[in-house]
Amino acid sequence: MSLIQNNIKKEKNLAMVIVGDRCIGCDACYVSCKTDWDVPAMKEAFRTKVFEVEGEDVNGNPTIGFLPTLCNHCDNAPCVDVCPTGASFKRDEDGIVLVEPDMCIGCKACMVACPYDARYYNEEEQTVDKCTFCLPRISNGLDPACVSTCVGESRNFGDLNDKESNVSKMLKDATSVFKLKEDEGTSPNVYYVTLNY
Amino acid sequence: MGRHNISRRGFLKLAGASSVAITAGITGLPSPLKASAAQEATRGARFLKYDRGVKTHNFCEMCFWNCGVDTYTRNGVIHKLEGNKLNPNNRGHLCAKGNAGIQSTYDADRIQSPLIRTGKRGEGKFKKVSWEEAYKYVYEKLNPLVDEFGPETLATFMHGTGEPYPHMLTMAIGSPNITIPAYSQCMGSREMAWALTFGTGVSGHETFDMANSKHMILFGRNMAGAVQVREAEDFAEGLARGARLTYVDPRQSESAVRATDWLQINPGTDMALALGFIHVIIRDNLANMDFVRKYCYGYNELTKHIKQYSPKWASKKCGIDAKTIEKIAWEFAKDAPNVVAIPPRRMTRYGNDTQTVRAIAILNALMGNWGVPGGIFVRNKVPLDFPKEDMPDAPDARRADGVGEGEKYPLAPTTLGRTNGIYEATLTKKPYPIKAWLLYGTNPLSHSSIGVNNLYKAIDNLELLIAIDTQFSDTVMYADVIFPESTYLERYDAPYIQKDKTPFIALRKPAIKPLYDTKGCFEICKGIAKEFELDDWFEKSPKEMQEELSQVLNKEQMETLEKDGVLLFEDVDPYPNASGAALNFSTSTSKVQLYVKDLEDMQKKHGDEFSPLPIYKDPAMPKAGEFRTLFGRTPHHSHARSQNNWVLLELQDDTPVWMNPEDAKKMGFKDGDMVSLVNAKTGHKSDHSERLKVTKRIKSGSIFIHHGFGHTTKAWTRGYEKGTKENWFISDGVDPLSGAAAFHNGFVKVVKA
Repeated sequence: MSLIQNNIKKEKNLAMVIVGDRCIGCDACYVSCKTDWDVPAMKEAFRTKVFEVEGEDVNGNPTIGFLPTLCNHCDNAPCVDVCPTGASFKRDEDGIVLVEPDMCIGCKACMVACPYDARYYNEEEQTVDKCTFCLPRISNGLDPACVSTCVGESRNFGDLNDKESNVSKMLKDATSVFKLKEDEGTSPNVYYVTLNY
Repeated sequence: MGRHNISRRGFLKLAGASSVAITAGITGLPSPLKASAAQEATRGARFLKYDRGVKTHNFCEMCFWNCGVDTYTRNGVIHKLEGNKLNPNNRGHLCAKGNAGIQSTYDADRIQSPLIRTGKRGEGKFKKVSWEEAYKYVYEKLNPLVDEFGPETLATFMHGTGEPYPHMLTMAIGSPNITIPAYSQCMGSREMAWALTFGTGVSGHETFDMANSKHMILFGRNMAGAVQVREAEDFAEGLARGARLTYVDPRQSESAVRATDWLQINPGTDMALALGFIHVIIRDNLANMDFVRKYCYGYNELTKHIKQYSPKWASKKCGIDAKTIEKIAWEFAKDAPNVVAIPPRRMTRYGNDTQTVRAIAILNALMGNWGVPGGIFVRNKVPLDFPKEDMPDAPDARRADGVGEGEKYPLAPTTLGRTNGIYEATLTKKPYPIKAWLLYGTNPLSHSSIGVNNLYKAIDNLELLIAIDTQFSDTVMYADVIFPESTYLERYDAPYIQKDKTPFIALRKPAIKPLYDTKGCFEICKGIAKEFELDDWFEKSPKEMQEELSQVLNKEQMETLEKDGVLLFEDVDPYPNASGAALNFSTSTSKVQLYVKDLEDMQKKHGDEFSPLPIYKDPAMPKAGEFRTLFGRTPHHSHARSQNNWVLLELQDDTPVWMNPEDAKKMGFKDGDMVSLVNAKTGHKSDHSERLKVTKRIKSGSIFIHHGFGHTTKAWTRGYEKGTKENWFISDGVDPLSGAAAFHNGFVKVVKA
């Protein structure tokens, strides 16, 4: 089975590949992202964040791990389906899911529909806001803000249609790959991998 | 809240309940609100533009690590900081704190003009004054004190890139009492132990080659939590390449996330574990004898000494079973020399810290990992001859902090001093009265080491408290006169020259003009010096010092430095041992000193704490019903400086008290209970309650809270009284060898709030 689900024909298939065990939970991504996109100064407003996951192993010893999260830019995006105005849409050319502020009426249907809690309502701008895979930056030759600052080099970004891209190679070499809530049928484009370099 | 644990969905339920109802009605139906074709054609167009703005080179001042920073400014406003990809301190990345540098600069809570106190000390009442008035105030208050008590009555505390200027000012006035808290409050014991063993300190930019290591043993060194970017990168890289990680800590910190073995050791017993490892290595002939024969002094003495410290003995002390100690020692030796045993950075813990790090240093030496990839790399100087700066003659007066030949702490360096010793002298007026403090970027109330109450009393003994800072810290609020420093994004500083694996020079240039009536530390100290007619010592401004680099750099190098903001000197060898070059050690025997002969006389005079080989002693223990206070850094804040930064406060704005489930059960506490701490020695009870975090991640018998919170400064509109100031609940001990502080023998009672 192919690890890459590709329901929509796209020129590019942009994806983020997160090497799970390289994340050290420093939250540099959170601050870099909030700063670059003027995300309002409140805890509930963010485009990406890292969860600290505490657990126990089979012997009852405590374990911790870190889970970076962001918009999954799903191929079957529930947020796009429920948007009454078309403000939430998926770009044909690269699969990025966006919210057009001029068209958003602030009904928050998308926020409820999103299984990843990836959206927030921006009171200042009167619009729902979310990760754009840093479209303004990547359109101008830069890496996404979270990727460029990632201390553990956990986050990687690129085009899965390009077999030579770093993300394609990582998925090929990965010893394990998972995506969040795949059973919801969303076909997310954020991959969590384990590498064995 | 600590880590992200607010559900935005929960927030949504509160904020948008009505819209949820609307949504339910319209989901999936064709909508009259649908966009027109014209609207659809242009949607998202705004997301294709990105104005990066004007780039200026800088290096970070959110902590002492000084990562390379590119500052991007649009219309005179800084909108983004990015890591400089060429700077070896961070290779293009910034941590959360570094990314949040903008928020600290654009903070209306900053000190906005020179100020003189009008109310009572600590009341926070100040009047705005001109720079001239503030300079004059210092002269008029300090000069009579100098006349009466001698210049040594002034003590200066420094932390930050502007350090050379308060240093120069204090020297010129004639006081020897200059201290850098990074020694006695942080790295002192580690540096002392390393210098005794290897002839050089670990240094602030540590020399552990983690990216190439096959096995790292971290003794309570939280690489992933106390984030310094390059180290965190190297740590993650080494692990990704398959290094084993043995993580030794009573608390499971962020760094334990990928530990091969997490050893939840009894607090204060790291030396026993290290001695146990050494015992196994020597007993089983696992030492790198080529290296030992060639470069080490005192192997025979060590062999005799270590016999008493079997794994079975170590196990009784440190609580790690003997088989595990043997297993890890064998694994470590198997991968030698590409292995490294890493001591804590803030090694101000149990009062036996220098000797504990001595044991860790010996463990490294036996692996022969000096100057080898994956072991300990060798720092190289920038290979240039910089012109020598004139300095005032060293003051004649005896230091007040017990540092210097013939004093109580003869080994401690006079260049760094003992901050804890100055506190003590100010409190006790011995050996002589300290009547004036000059604080540069330091906040003694948040690293007190003599108890917070005693520190308040010491401040009461001052006739003059001068502060140079960007913000109103707890201690700055007690100042008589305050000089506002421009932030690192608003000022020039002298060229940054770093001795390192790859040595380099970096530049700091202002991205914007100062937002408020502030100046660089150079101008401030020169202004004060002028009142004393000592300003001749302040000849060249930081900007002129940058320009003067052209005297030592060629044209091409100057151009590279201007273009990249950093200039690397890559023609150096950090791995001379691996390259087959002969090694030099600046110790008295010119060898790695397993046995420190220099200490023999001191041991006779002062006792076993000064032993040439580490002698184990049990740490002080809490009484029944008491807990040991452990504390440490969070990845989201820099010391006690960043707790008013709004974006960092979003990441963490409290200090839950960690407690082991067994202890919680005994106490009848549940996770989430609100509790207060009571210092078992002083009786001080925390001002407000904290959430109890019941977790096996902390060893039974100890509690843990994060460092840097509990600020009393009302000038911090966001950070005021967030969390608990751990300083109230830590010990006031001293390591007899280094003279540095010992914080982890503080015991508390935990009570329901």
